[in-house]
Amino acid sequence: MKAYLGIDVGSVTTKLALLDEDDQLIASTYLRTRGDPVDMVKQGLREIKKQTPREVEISGVATTGSGRYLASVLVGADLVKNEITTHAVAAMQHISDVQTIFEIGGQDSKIIVIRDGVVIDFGMNSVCAAGTGSFLEHQAERLNVRIEDFGEHALRSENPARIAGRCTVFAESDMIHKQQLGYPLDDIIYGLCQSLVRNYLNNVALGKEIQPRLVFQGGVAFNKGIIRAFNEAFDSGVYVPPHNELMGAIGAAILVREEIEIKQNHHKSNFKGFGVSDIEFKTSSFICKACPNLCEISQISADSKVLARWGGRCDMWERVSES
Amino acid sequence: MVTVGIPRALLYYQYYPAWKVFLEKLGAKVVVSAPTNKSILNSGVMRSVQDTCLPVKVFFGHIISLVDKCDVMFVPAVTSLGKKSYNCSKLIGLPNMARALIPESPPILAPEINCEKGRYNLYRNIYAVGRYFTSNPFKLKKAVEEAWASNLDYQGKMSDEGITPLQAIDCQLSPDVNSSSFTIAVIGHPYIIYDEYVSHRLISQLQKKEVKVVTPEMVSPEELDAATRRLVGVPHWLFESEIIGAGEYYMETRVDGIIIVAAFGCGPDSMMLGIVQHRARELGIPILPFSLDEHSSEGGLLTRLEAFLDMVKRRERI
Repeated sequence: MKAYLGIDVGSVTTKLALLDEDDQLIASTYLRTRGDPVDMVKQGLREIKKQTPREVEISGVATTGSGRYLASVLVGADLVKNEITTHAVAAMQHISDVQTIFEIGGQDSKIIVIRDGVVIDFGMNSVCAAGTGSFLEHQAERLNVRIEDFGEHALRSENPARIAGRCTVFAESDMIHKQQLGYPLDDIIYGLCQSLVRNYLNNVALGKEIQPRLVFQGGVAFNKGIIRAFNEAFDSGVYVPPHNELMGAIGAAILVREEIEIKQNHHKSNFKGFGVSDIEFKTSSFICKACPNLCEISQISADSKVLARWGGRCDMWERVSES
Repeated sequence: MVTVGIPRALLYYQYYPAWKVFLEKLGAKVVVSAPTNKSILNSGVMRSVQDTCLPVKVFFGHIISLVDKCDVMFVPAVTSLGKKSYNCSKLIGLPNMARALIPESPPILAPEINCEKGRYNLYRNIYAVGRYFTSNPFKLKKAVEEAWASNLDYQGKMSDEGITPLQAIDCQLSPDVNSSSFTIAVIGHPYIIYDEYVSHRLISQLQKKEVKVVTPEMVSPEELDAATRRLVGVPHWLFESEIIGAGEYYMETRVDGIIIVAAFGCGPDSMMLGIVQHRARELGIPILPFSLDEHSSEGGLLTRLEAFLDMVKRRERI
């Protein structure tokens, strides 16, 4: 049986999804990146291997997410795709009438506008991470609440506290102030959820045409408090697909299947096999002194052989790695 | 011989050929600072006030890099070039800011170019600068005329042959021979889109992805003005036509997509960007706004760029 693997290396979590030829999920993992994407990709592959029946043959691999280039070198990817396209593809596959996708991840949040099955507009948060998962996680830590329990607390709230969501720094001082005034924990937590949604809608989604059906995906879609806040903001409500956290990886797998099917078996996958999990990869970096830009070049190597380099303002080092 | 330093920033991209001819005809030697790099940017950022925009910070970095390479610095204060249209206050005050922030700089020659004040005032200002090099008014007049001719020549070359200022200045007469069927218009002030450090090589990254890139300079100034008038009427800002005019022109000619690049913190750009974006939505043309600041990571830019091209290509197929 042929199968296609999608690997989504995000800033906070790493997701892997294995699909069969009919885009049905065979195996998946969801891991925290913990600042070590190389190790997480290896661990993820190990997990996938455990879940995969023996007769399955991996015919294509695609990587996505902010760590997509690194991951593609590690596993030998057939396709490297940005996360906006993969999220849109996965959503359109599962929900045929989707017109707007809200995607909130660990470090960034996006809105994707779809009409007649085509992406027509998208937006991404700029430098500010106030409307993302790490913002919530950070606040949960402050409140001494596990992020997994965040949603339950939010659902119990009856009189949410109004908390400024423009900036994490303001939100924090606002939140402490509300705590000192004796607001119940549930109301503060739901207030935070509302402020995140408000910030998202006023920032990332500003000026975008939001039409139902609204699909909400990404890791933050696990949070029932945010879902509640979105449902209050839109009459039509938001729909959270199953596997919301895997959508990027699923989209990548779909795209690589499409691409390989176009090539019709003339293509042999670049996938290096599950043995990748046992290879010792070394990452290092140095400063290139060829010009006054002093770029930081990072490189990844295995068995003292350099696999790839990047980070330069010119292609000087990238070219070296190809030769 | 007097050596005159010209910073490779801001209005350099519009007027360098004319300035060069003018100064050389007056017997000066012209030196230009190196293309923007990390140390130029850093030194500029260190000196300027926090709230100013990135291109101005870069400009000061260029001045600092020229300090011991020339006897005098050439920084015209371009205030106005047409009726009731003014430049941004940061550009009008550029020479004075430079004098205040970089006291070690050699003297700064700063003719005020202000067409609102009339022809006589303009002549007098140019004459005052010329006096620094020559006392012969005929020589000065000739220098001005030749500079003007070379300016027209420069503009014509770019719009006739479809080349960028970088190509026109370096006389690389090889227009982009990309046979791609995708045309993306990159709209923005020349000092942003052609500064490869500031723009993260946006244009060449697009060309590498087999996209044909068109820019405001590839359209004649008359056509840009006309397009500006069609969309907003009489322009208010001096360089409005290179954003609004170019945006409207390329939208009317139905390019496949528009990438509009602005510097973070630029007041006029934030307004113009909104107008062009609004118009693009009206016409259903894909548009990607970029706001550039000092951050050096290209990751976010690349992700957006790739997603934008995917979007444009998928739309095309249907």
